[in-house]
Amino acid sequence: MPAQDLISLRNRLKLKSQQSELLLKTHHPHAVAQLEAAGVRPGSIRKHAAKLLAAGATATALMTSPLTPIALRAALPAASQSQPLSPDDLHLLLKDALKDVLPTRVDPLTPAQEEKISELLYDYLGIHAYAQLEGNRLNHSYGLIGAEQHLPRYPGDTLEQHGAYLKAGITPGLGAWRYFARSKSEMTPDLIAKERYYVAVQTLYLPDWHTRLAYLRDWYKYRKVAVVNPKNGKAVIAVVADSGPASWTGKHFGGSPEVMAYLEAKDGRQRGPVVLFFIDDPEDRIPLGPIDYNLEKPSLLQSI
Amino acid sequence: MSKIFYDHLTLHEEITAKLDIQHLDPQEREELVDLIDQTLHHHVLDLILTHLPREHHADFVSRLHAAPHDLSLLDYLKTHIPDIEAKISSHAAKIKKEILSDIKKSQTHRGK
Repeated sequence: MPAQDLISLRNRLKLKSQQSELLLKTHHPHAVAQLEAAGVRPGSIRKHAAKLLAAGATATALMTSPLTPIALRAALPAASQSQPLSPDDLHLLLKDALKDVLPTRVDPLTPAQEEKISELLYDYLGIHAYAQLEGNRLNHSYGLIGAEQHLPRYPGDTLEQHGAYLKAGITPGLGAWRYFARSKSEMTPDLIAKERYYVAVQTLYLPDWHTRLAYLRDWYKYRKVAVVNPKNGKAVIAVVADSGPASWTGKHFGGSPEVMAYLEAKDGRQRGPVVLFFIDDPEDRIPLGPIDYNLEKPSLLQSI
Repeated sequence: MSKIFYDHLTLHEEITAKLDIQHLDPQEREELVDLIDQTLHHHVLDLILTHLPREHHADFVSRLHAAPHDLSLLDYLKTHIPDIEAKISSHAAKIKKEILSDIKKSQTHRGK
């Protein structure tokens, strides 16, 4: 093949590869992040397969099989494992670790407890999450969450257009930060995800809410948080998109239908305990939704 | 070349066979095959994740990472998407057609 034809073909194929990668990342950022966290680019899965084979069937099977006993995996620090734990194993480990730190009742956490939980969230999920961020903190970092309804995203939005969890209903009024977009045509995948995975927090009860309203209103709008159900170890990344619930309800946070369904955080009284920490993610790299894997790249055992 | 669990459905050898008649330098050939493989994999993964319920994504990716060659991954997918094999074959055929068209266009570039 003449050099000119070869260059033309290479450019075409390169463009095709880049476009398909972008498409995959846009449609399924969480899955791409999970693979990349394990050190594999989605398009390079064949190279990864070759590495696994080269590493030897026995060692590979031991380290990578989903059936590997959890105790064997637990012997290693979660953040150092080159192969991701299965979601069920991860939930179990996080649940057990949180049990040792959290009070038996839903009481305010001490600074030492909050610090320890930040360490656990980094160790197991690879996220930098804190009870206090940039000098701001909620009145509760561990509290009861209740089920909220869908929020209207733009003028004319209807419950049916939310697609899932329709039984939860849609709020008759707007969220604390009004509509997510001015019209349906201005809705983006990012805004759809924000409504899907939102929480309500009690900004109205912050001691400085009224004196620093302009600053705090902007700071809390779409603030990214990690919400963890300590009863099952499930965690979800969400944004603050509403204010509430009222203190008389006895609840401290509200969760969107998607958040509550994933966390399975409701007891018979439609509420349950959760840890809610701010995420330090200035580059907005952590995707919203369930987090069933460690986002940090493994630092050890990569060569096994 | 190592195997991926859906290789028998995508049959990308049809494309690499086209490259083989171009008398490419082995290194050049490898680079092109790699780009084609990446494109197919992006598309197949996108297709699978689009049809697989969201709550199973993490589990599937975990299994894929652990054993990309394992045919039981197809069985796993079939429990959630009964016609996944047909879907992969059909989508791969479409992508292959596009890639073959690109190869053809590059050849017709000659002499212009």
